Amino acid sequence: MDLSVSIAGIKFKNPVTVASGTFGHAEDFYDDKELRRLGALIPKTVTLFPRQGNPPPRIVETPAGMINAIGIENPGVDIFITDKLPLLKAIGIPVIVSVSGANYEEFRILVEKVNAAGVTAVELNLSCPNLGKHSLVAQDPAAVERVVRLAKKHSRIPVCAKLSPNVTDIAQIAAAAEQGGADALSLVNTFQAMVIDVEKRRSKLGNFTGGLSGPAIRPIAVFMVHQVYRRIKIPIIAMGGIMAPDDALQYIIAGATMAAVGTANFIDPGTPLAVLRGVEDYLKRHGMQRISELRGSLQS
Amino acid sequence: MKKIQGVYKITANQKISGSYYHLKIAAPDIGRGVLPGQFVHVRVNDGLEPFFRRPFSVFRGGKSLEILYDVVGPATKQLAAKRPGETLDVIGPLGHAFTLPDKNIRVVVLIAGGVGIAPFLTLTDKIRLKKLDKILLYGGRTKANIVSLKAFRDNGCRIHVATDDGSAGVKGRVSGLFSKIPLDPSTTLIYACGPRPMLAAIQSFAAQHGMRGELSYEEVMACGLGACLGCAVQTRKGYKTVCHDGPVFPLEEVVF
Ligand SMILES: Cc1cc2nc3c(=O)[nH]c(=O)nc-3n(C[C@H](O)[C@H](O)[C@H](O)COP(=O)(O)OP(=O)(O)OC[C@H]3O[C@@H](n4cnc5c(N)ncnc54)[C@H](O)[C@@H]3O)c2cc1C
Ligand SMILES: Cc1cc2nc3c(=O)[nH]c(=O)nc-3n(C[C@H](O)[C@H](O)[C@H](O)COP(=O)(O)O)c2cc1C
Ligand code: FES
Repeated sequence: MDLSVSIAGIKFKNPVTVASGTFGHAEDFYDDKELRRLGALIPKTVTLFPRQGNPPPRIVETPAGMINAIGIENPGVDIFITDKLPLLKAIGIPVIVSVSGANYEEFRILVEKVNAAGVTAVELNLSCPNLGKHSLVAQDPAAVERVVRLAKKHSRIPVCAKLSPNVTDIAQIAAAAEQGGADALSLVNTFQAMVIDVEKRRSKLGNFTGGLSGPAIRPIAVFMVHQVYRRIKIPIIAMGGIMAPDDALQYIIAGATMAAVGTANFIDPGTPLAVLRGVEDYLKRHGMQRISELRGSLQS
Repeated sequence: MKKIQGVYKITANQKISGSYYHLKIAAPDIGRGVLPGQFVHVRVNDGLEPFFRRPFSVFRGGKSLEILYDVVGPATKQLAAKRPGETLDVIGPLGHAFTLPDKNIRVVVLIAGGVGIAPFLTLTDKIRLKKLDKILLYGGRTKANIVSLKAFRDNGCRIHVATDDGSAGVKGRVSGLFSKIPLDPSTTLIYACGPRPMLAAIQSFAAQHGMRGELSYEEVMACGLGACLGCAVQTRKGYKTVCHDGPVFPLEEVVF
C-alpha cells in the first residue's frame, strides 16, 4: 500500500504530521523508532529574535477544546538552528520549519536562514492571532501574496503558507497565496476566542484573548479545507481538532494532502501514530492501493 | 527516567476525610521510578469533558501508584466516582523532583497547605532513615480536611497543625507556625507545597531570614510534557514551564 504523498516534488512517506506548537520535547516521550514513522515534523514557530511569550495564564480549557495565548515563546531562529534543529533532523524524517516575521524584511531573513540550515520546507505562519496587532497578514490577500512571493524569491526549498481562519473568505486568501507562488497551504490556525471568569469579570487569559483549537473547531476547519480545495491547485496540509483516524480522513476526503495532529497531542501523545494506523486500516478496508485515491474523493 | 503512558487498573479509591480521596492504581512501571515531588498526568475519561488531563502529585510510589486528591471541580468529581477495577490513562513520572538534603543539613521543614501535603510523603520516605530533624507544618481549612498524619509520624516527623477555624491544632494560617522553623540557613532546609498565598508568604519569610529551600508550584496544564508552553510561570530567570522545568523550583525563584 502506498501512503506516500508529495509536495512540490518532495516525497513524504505518509500524510500524517504534527501541527506547529504542539509537539515540543517529543524526544523525552517517544522512541526515535516511533517518531520516525511520521510523515514529517513541524516544530513550533520561530521568530527572528527570541520571544518570551505572553503572561500566564496562557491556556484555558473549553468545551471540546482549548484556547491558547502562548505568544510564540521561542528562543529565536539562530538558537533554534544551533540547539534544537540538529535533534529534530537526527530523527530522520522531513522537518518543515515554521517561521513568523514582524515585517517583510524579517520574513526574508528567516527564510534565508532556514534555507541555509538545510530543512525540507518552510512554513510561513501568517496567522498567529497573538502578536497584539489590529490585523494579521493572513487577513489581507495583498499582504499574503506579497509575503509569499518574497519568501519564494529567497527560498530553494518549498514554501508553505499557513492561513488563519479568522477571515470572511478563506478561499480568497488561499488563492492569493497560490498567486504569490506558494507550494502548499497549511490550514487552519486557531480561531480568535476568549473565556470570561464571571466572578472576577476578567478574561481567563493573561493575554485577554487567544486562539481556539481542538475538536470544537473541526467541522468549521473541514469546511474551510473543502472550500479551499475547490479553489486552488496546490497541496493542503490540513489541521483542526484531529483526535482520531476518522478526523484525518475527513480532511483527506475533503482534499488535503497531509493531515496534522495538534491539540490532541496534549490529550493523548499517541494520537499521531494512532491516526496513521487508522488511515492505513481504512485504505485496506476500502481496497485502496494509494492514498491518492482517497484525496478529494468527496461525493456530491 | 523515560516518561511512560499506560492504561492502568484502579485498585482502591476511598474517601478519607472531608473532600479528600486516596486513589491507588496498579502502575508499577511508573510507580517504581517516581521521585519525591514528581507528578502524573491523568485522563479521567475517554470523552471530551473535561478536555484536559489533570496533574496530581504522587503521594506514594512503588508497586502501586498512590494519589491523594481533593474534590474541587468536574475532573476530581469524576475521579471520585471511579470504582476499583475501572481503568485510568496515566502519563508519568513527570517534572523535576525535590532536591534531597545534602550532608550539612540537620533540619528539614515541610510546609503544606491542604492537599499540598501530597508530595511530601514520598519525600519523608526517602529521608526516613537519615539523622534529620523532620518538622511538618500543616495548614488546612477545618479538622475534616486534615488527612491522617500517621504515615508522616511513622516516618519520624514532628507535626504542627493549624486550621482556619481552630478545629484542629492552632487557629489560623500555617504562617502562624513559622516560629517553629529553626532560623539557621546552613543547617535547615524548607520544602513547601500549597496554595499560592501560602507559598508567597513562605518565600518572603525565607528571604527575610536568608533561609533556603524549594517549593512546588501549580498552574493549569495541557500537555504536562513541556510541549505546549501553556503552564508558564514567571520566575527571576524569565518564564519557565511548571510541568517540565518545575513543578519544584528554588524558593526564591518564582515571582508571585
Ligand atoms: C504539579 C501539580 C500537582 C498537583 N497535585 C495535586 C494533588 O496531589 N492532589 C490534588 O488534589 N490536586 C493536585 N493538583 C491540582 C489538581 O490538578 C487540580 O485540583 C485539578 O486539576 C482540578 O480539576 P477539576 O476539574 O476537579 O477542577 P477545576 O474546576 O477544573 O479546577 C479547580 C482548580 O484546579 C486548577 N486546575 C484545573 N485544571 C488544571 C490543569 N489541567 N492543570 C493544573 N491545574 C488545574 C484550576 O486552576 C483551579 O484552581 C496538582 C496540580 C499540579 C499542577
Ligand atoms: C498551544 C498551542 C500552540 C500553538 N503554536 C503555534 C505556533 O507556534 N505556530 C503555528 O503556526 N501554529 C500554532 N498553533 C496552532 C496549531 O498548529 C494548529 O494550527 C491549530 O491548533 C489547529 O489544530 P488543532 O485543533 O489540531 O490543534 C498552536 C496551537 C496550540 C494549541
Ligand atoms: S502543560 Fe504543556 S508545557 Fe506544561
